[in-house]
Amino acid sequence: MRRQVPLILCFAFGIVMALTEFSPHRFSQWLNKEVIDWTLVIGPFALVLAIATLIQTHWTRIRRRSEYWQYSFLVFIGMIVMVVIGIPLGQRHPVFVWLFRYVQVPMDATMFSLLAFFIASAAYRAFRARTLEATLLLAAALIVMIGNAPVGDLIWNTIIPFGDNLPSAARQWILDNPNLSARRGIILGISLGVISQSIRIILGIERSYLGGVEGD
Amino acid sequence: MIEKLMNIDRRIVFILVGLAVIIPSLLSVSFPITVSQPTRSTYDYIESLPTGSTLMIGFNYGPSSLAELHPMAEAVIHHCFQQKVRVIGMTLLPDGATLGDDMLRKVADETGAIYGEDYVYLGFRPGATQVLLGMGTAIDSVFEADYAKTPLAEIPMMADITNYEQIDLVLDLASGSSTEWWIVYTNTRYNQQIAAGVTGVIVSQMYPYLQTKQLIGLMPGLLGAAEYEKLIGRPAKGTEGMSIQSFAHLLVVGLVILGNIAFFIQRRQAE
Repeated sequence: MRRQVPLILCFAFGIVMALTEFSPHRFSQWLNKEVIDWTLVIGPFALVLAIATLIQTHWTRIRRRSEYWQYSFLVFIGMIVMVVIGIPLGQRHPVFVWLFRYVQVPMDATMFSLLAFFIASAAYRAFRARTLEATLLLAAALIVMIGNAPVGDLIWNTIIPFGDNLPSAARQWILDNPNLSARRGIILGISLGVISQSIRIILGIERSYLGGVEGD
Repeated sequence: MIEKLMNIDRRIVFILVGLAVIIPSLLSVSFPITVSQPTRSTYDYIESLPTGSTLMIGFNYGPSSLAELHPMAEAVIHHCFQQKVRVIGMTLLPDGATLGDDMLRKVADETGAIYGEDYVYLGFRPGATQVLLGMGTAIDSVFEADYAKTPLAEIPMMADITNYEQIDLVLDLASGSSTEWWIVYTNTRYNQQIAAGVTGVIVSQMYPYLQTKQLIGLMPGLLGAAEYEKLIGRPAKGTEGMSIQSFAHLLVVGLVILGNIAFFIQRRQAE
């Protein structure tokens, strides 16, 4: 029963919602809207689940004294401080905004900025023209990189007497043609995969989302 | 010598990157910017909107992508207020809530735009796809109140805005997959016109949608912000950032070329 009810619900909602997408009938559209309203109510429960998982994970780390367990206290402090200020005072309260602007923003931006250093180092070490494919990739990457910065056009226009703004035009051509074709292939592949997986879930063939061993 | 070059200490690379960022920001060098067609299309679309049209902006990025997407938001909102195009701000990410509010208020202060008449900020609601689908029937079924908790029914600007039918363009400023959600759930289902401004790392993913006109325009990373600033004749953070981006890109290109020269010399010596 524990598995049959979710399977029946999944089948019923999957089929009905798919059909409502193809039917302009008033009842069909009403049903579609109604179910979307339900999901808007159910949606926030995912946040509760996420918070519960976060607490559980970090509490276990502290209890077991796992590596760097002390940092888990920082997770709790950060979460509690923001919740204690954010919920009663609101997200526009100066203290909440100050914490966001001067703690979260710099920390988050710093973490992301570090990527620039590692990318430069990794590009120097790993980006080698070892094979034809690697050479093509390397050439495309260099053209896009140079075309993506105004200095590329400036250097080209200063040194070369023909083909104004060729680096940015070449970059645009790469994005518009080889890149677009490859991306379209990837999108089609992913979409077909999503459709087939959805059909498997709706028909109850794929049951791993219920937890436990498939086919239980 | 070649061996040393091949195994250069990565801290030296880090120092070079640091210098490539610090020096141009101190010298305030500027470069001429060539506007790409996808950015121009976004600008042209907003430029062609009649007075009183409505643009919805999704601030779907967090502080990590702020450097690239905030200048874009600033330029587009400035353009909208100049054109008397009304702006509705919202976000599908909790991190974007304060960023969107800050940006709209900043530009409103600079331009004299009035809250509730020229712009409204809805804030964040969880459940991205449900939010996008829900706004298709009624915005107030998802956002019953704005970010400051004022019911939408009490906001004059929202009196004639019910759902996507009254929104002329959605601009998604994204650091993740949100543009694809907008395309799937609002363009396909509600025929909503969408433009996007995205971080440099995901620009290449957007081109198929641009070709199919599911996106009417696309601003690529910080360069897109600089291009838009050039189009509205108001150089700001995006344009400033171009000198830094230029030096950093030149450095990486130089390092890759140097690394490959060393690699080929070493391979020839080994042969």
